[in-house]
Amino acid sequence: MVVRVPPSSAPPRSRLRVLLASGAAALALAAGSVVPGMPLGAAPQQAQAADSGGKTDKTLTVAVAQSVDSLSPFLAQKLLSTSVSRLMYDFLTNYDAKDNHAIPGLATKWEPSADKLTWTYTIRADSKWSDGQQATAEDAAWTFNKIMDDEAAAQANGSFVTNFKKVTAPSPTKLVIELKEPQATMAALDVPIVPKHVWEKVGDFSKFNNDTKFPVVGNGPFILTDYKVDQYVKLKANKDFWRGAPKFDELVFKTYKDQDAAVAALRKGEVSFVAGSPALTPAQANSLKGDKNIKVNEGPGRRFYALATNPGARTKDGKKFGNGNKALLDKRVRQALFLSIDRESIIDKVFQGHAVEGKGYIPPRFSAYAWEPSASQKLAYDPDKAAQLLDQAGYKLKGDQRVGKDGKPLDLRILCHATDPNDKAVGKYLKEWWGKLGIGLKVDCLDDVSVPWYAGEYDLAFDGWSVNPDPDFVLGIHTCAALPTKAKASAATDNFICDKSYDELYKKQLAEYDPAKRAELVGQMQSWLYDSGYMNVMAYPNAVEAYRTDQIKSITTMPEAAGNIYGQDGYWSWWSAVPASSGGDSDSDSSGSSTGVIIGIVVAVVVLAGGGFLISRRRRTTADDRE
Amino acid sequence: MTTTDSMPTPTPASAPPEPVRSARALARARKRQSAARFWREYRRHKGGMWGLAGLILIALVALAAPQLVGADSESVTEASGGALESPSGEFPLGTDQFGRSVLALLVWGARVSLTVGLLAAFLCVAIGTVVGIVAGHFRGWYSTVLMRVTDWFLVMPTLVLAVALASVMDRSLWTIIIAIGVTTWPTTARLVRAQTLAVESRPYIERARALGGGHGHVMLRHVLPNVMPLVLAQTTLAISGAILSEATLAFLGLGDPTITSWGSMLQDARAAGAVSAGDWWYLAPPGIAIALVALAFTLCGRAIESVLNPKLGVAR
Amino acid sequence: MTADSTPALVQQADAATDGPPAGPSAARGPRARNTKAYLQYVAAKIAGAVVSLFAVLVTSFFLFRLIPSDPVKQMTGGRPVSAEQLESLRHQLGLDQPMWQQFTSYIGDALTGDFGASFAYHAPVMDKIVEKLPATLLLTGTAYVLYSLIGIWLGTRTAWRNGSAGDRFNTALALTLYSVPSFWLGLLLIIVFSVGVGPIPGMFPTGGMTSGDTSGFGYVIDVAHHMVLPVITLVAVGYAQTLLVMRSSLLDEMGSDYLTTARAKGLRDDVVRRKHAVPNAMLPTFTLMFVNLGHVVAGQILVETVFSWPGLGSLFYQGLSTPDLPLVQGLFFVFATAVILANTLADVLYPLLDPRVGR
Repeated sequence: MVVRVPPSSAPPRSRLRVLLASGAAALALAAGSVVPGMPLGAAPQQAQAADSGGKTDKTLTVAVAQSVDSLSPFLAQKLLSTSVSRLMYDFLTNYDAKDNHAIPGLATKWEPSADKLTWTYTIRADSKWSDGQQATAEDAAWTFNKIMDDEAAAQANGSFVTNFKKVTAPSPTKLVIELKEPQATMAALDVPIVPKHVWEKVGDFSKFNNDTKFPVVGNGPFILTDYKVDQYVKLKANKDFWRGAPKFDELVFKTYKDQDAAVAALRKGEVSFVAGSPALTPAQANSLKGDKNIKVNEGPGRRFYALATNPGARTKDGKKFGNGNKALLDKRVRQALFLSIDRESIIDKVFQGHAVEGKGYIPPRFSAYAWEPSASQKLAYDPDKAAQLLDQAGYKLKGDQRVGKDGKPLDLRILCHATDPNDKAVGKYLKEWWGKLGIGLKVDCLDDVSVPWYAGEYDLAFDGWSVNPDPDFVLGIHTCAALPTKAKASAATDNFICDKSYDELYKKQLAEYDPAKRAELVGQMQSWLYDSGYMNVMAYPNAVEAYRTDQIKSITTMPEAAGNIYGQDGYWSWWSAVPASSGGDSDSDSSGSSTGVIIGIVVAVVVLAGGGFLISRRRRTTADDRE
Repeated sequence: MTTTDSMPTPTPASAPPEPVRSARALARARKRQSAARFWREYRRHKGGMWGLAGLILIALVALAAPQLVGADSESVTEASGGALESPSGEFPLGTDQFGRSVLALLVWGARVSLTVGLLAAFLCVAIGTVVGIVAGHFRGWYSTVLMRVTDWFLVMPTLVLAVALASVMDRSLWTIIIAIGVTTWPTTARLVRAQTLAVESRPYIERARALGGGHGHVMLRHVLPNVMPLVLAQTTLAISGAILSEATLAFLGLGDPTITSWGSMLQDARAAGAVSAGDWWYLAPPGIAIALVALAFTLCGRAIESVLNPKLGVAR
Repeated sequence: MTADSTPALVQQADAATDGPPAGPSAARGPRARNTKAYLQYVAAKIAGAVVSLFAVLVTSFFLFRLIPSDPVKQMTGGRPVSAEQLESLRHQLGLDQPMWQQFTSYIGDALTGDFGASFAYHAPVMDKIVEKLPATLLLTGTAYVLYSLIGIWLGTRTAWRNGSAGDRFNTALALTLYSVPSFWLGLLLIIVFSVGVGPIPGMFPTGGMTSGDTSGFGYVIDVAHHMVLPVITLVAVGYAQTLLVMRSSLLDEMGSDYLTTARAKGLRDDVVRRKHAVPNAMLPTFTLMFVNLGHVVAGQILVETVFSWPGLGSLFYQGLSTPDLPLVQGLFFVFATAVILANTLADVLYPLLDPRVGR
């Protein structure tokens, strides 16, 4: 056996190696723990007032859980991206912070023609793009026409223009939109208007993400100055904004994929606001409530959280497909299922009080359209009545299970979103409540529920949508027109609901320009949905967010009385936020950093001492081994 | 190590004549002797004994779960505590977000984690042993193809592959078992193949073949028994790895959401915001349990290996 | 991620399976024969690697298409989208082509390095990978260097002092840390050192790579500050395997005759260890280290997820939920390529270091 003897090199490398390693580690630790208070790296996130009252850089940092998918308003789908679009570009109209009614945005006035098919908008004269040019109706017309003509540009907002026949700008302050059919949602066009002179140079809209030149030319309350993928989006205040400049100089959206990291950052003062995705968990909210300098904002949410039942999947032509349980075609069974859900328990145990019991389809915060069932219509928690209904429907108890007339036990499947802990939690409760009734439940938690959903291969599903001030979208997804053309193809429909009376009401409300009459029609639609048992709203989860009061003095929620801050229909929160005047940097922060320094130094000393001790011990033992 | 010899050994001529026992009885006696020898050797390893003790304890706890903590302690509608309470007299490890006792969940979770670990490990070792023996026995084309496939699996980052597999199938315990089994068998296959090659180079195999033993005979009656000790060591180590993998996959949200396992407890804790709230009683116990069980199996496995290969760190 | 089987037995298996390459003409003289045999061996290994790479490419296509998910619906989820728009989006992404056509264009593009454009980021996949690669390399690379060094050092010490209290303690500690789930250790570290438990204040950030607006030296310190906890987690769980392998192979080596001879010749203990035993015992560890090197790029999905580290691992995990097909295909290929390359490199370099093989 040949033995290779490596050439004898100089000193014992391992000893030196240990010393170097421990020294480096200690240095890193000590240096690292000094960072929070280190003046070297600019500490920008604090809204620090200068001690001598000079100009200070007031920055509002928002921790968000998403990252931007695209900065192009033609491609952006995610809430963060659309929120940033709202800040960069003005819309034709905006929504009032108090009660959501439409108020002027880029357009000051809007009027329909007598035949309801032509809308004329008056574009304001005091809105300038950030590169100095005037924002005119030509920009608006160009934007809409682009979405209408270019498929690549229609990705995000194409649905708004499907009913447009022609869009023109006869003068710089007049925009005329001709429709194919009457459309009551013309004061709710959530389409960012972009500057024509910048965007007409763009080639392929499907590949352009609006992230090549900064600052991005816009006319909203903030101007986009910097962007790093998956890390942050930086905006600066637009001092020339026609509604008034924001009070904060800089707005930063930072991505924290992990909610706990975001909460910790809030505690440390690294961020001013945490949005939660979609809301802070009850445990997080409770632990933050005790912190001084942190305010937990809770308000009625804009989502509804419902139980959807499969009405039998079908195409537009009426061809049936899928394998939804036929038992659900019986209204009594559907109602029995809903009657046996103890919604109070869900609010209490799953949401821990951070939700409101569900009533109508539209959440109560949209007061113009919200609806409530009457006392006789209401399906309150009543498990006995549920058992009765099941008996009546022919599903009698055989031992522990309900068995149908054909002898088969009643077993249902429910689709749950794997990423939503509420779905999983409620699923546990449903399984036990319905188990007591004798109904078996299989909870299918998937990352992508849309595949079995659109294949019609489900019985029940957890459903929920975020509702806008104009409810057209969430109402339209239950019309027969939304059904798929081909079996198992994905479509706009939410739950394969198709009913003539519902469709007629939908058509009427879309053509009804009188707000009161429209609200009445929408109420009737909600009543139909409630009775049908296909869409059973269990709760409206609250918006739970938190911010530092030593950085933000005041901020507008939406609705103003109580609502959410992040993800508003409008830019009220960030535009109106007032920085805390007293330099406010928490003593806790500086003491935290000094504690950090002390501990870092102690650790460094310990490591060095330990390393030295080990080395000296080693030398001694080696000496012992010497002959 | 044990060798199976189909021919009876003649008794020594110098001893007083003993009743001639049948071949099978002799083989059994020899097996008993080697088992006893194995046990004597094993007993000398303190680590192995600790591991074995731990395993027995955990198995008892898992089996006695209904008696220890009550059969309905996993129910959410019967939960009596408040949400995320810290440890108290009534709830020694506090409660989860539904008010259930964390200690009870830990005990019930033991069943799931152990079952998945055991089944996944058996699957892994079964596939690996079959592939290894076949690849080692049949030379040439079969062997090359099998080893290429094995090597291909080996270069896959196991977690990535397991995650991808688990995403493809629907969420259930069997998915996890299959995902783990399918991604970890290659190491066993390589070891078994090496051992097969070593066994088959022994003279008595040649003798068996000359006497007319076919492929099946050689593989089942000669190679397999000789490979079994190695397989046993591999199994215990595989179980340790499988328990960790199950925890990982459950933590990443790929397990069955309606079943409580240690990994899913950690995921639930994180989803409920326990990290921000500093609820260490919800986060620490499942991890400690996982570590202890994995450690116990590892210690046993290493002890078995030491018995097989005395050169490894004897002096205990 | 998993506790792999005992390193010692794996080394035996490696020795048995990776036999010496077939040597051709013995008549040409020892040196020429060895070089030629070696080159043939290298060629064979590289050919094998290319085959493996192609197999991975094919797998990555099919594996993720098995995921029952509709990327188009996932991407537009929650937005008012009509069926026509969904169709046009599907057409844009090439998802409406028949499977074999998608496959051939995928293979064709991949051979030129084009993995398509990520569904979620609207940017070329390779660009995104190159963008995130440094973050992963920084984290796992640092941890790799640290745990390899610590593992080798401690493994050597414990083997040499076999049976002592220090050895027993170190081995027990290594075994324990080896059994601990890495993500759990990460979570605990976050609770104790980031959030703070009781009197201990939160000293380190809870996640991410940087806290914000720093540049130059401040940026370096900031990143280092964020790296401390994840690196500790990785090192704690990783050094154990290296230690165990080093220890067992050194113990194996220590029973060798040549060492007894060396000591009999009068050489000092630590000289014997350093110059003779350790270099020879390093060989199995060396194999292990190369295997681990491959996994440096494969990213630590768990640790990156727990610490929100913006690297390839967390990119892969996010991409799986949509699934962002081009992205996960590309990442899967990159991960496997790194491992294959590292293994091939190990196979190629091993004969140069171990004269017993291949002569």
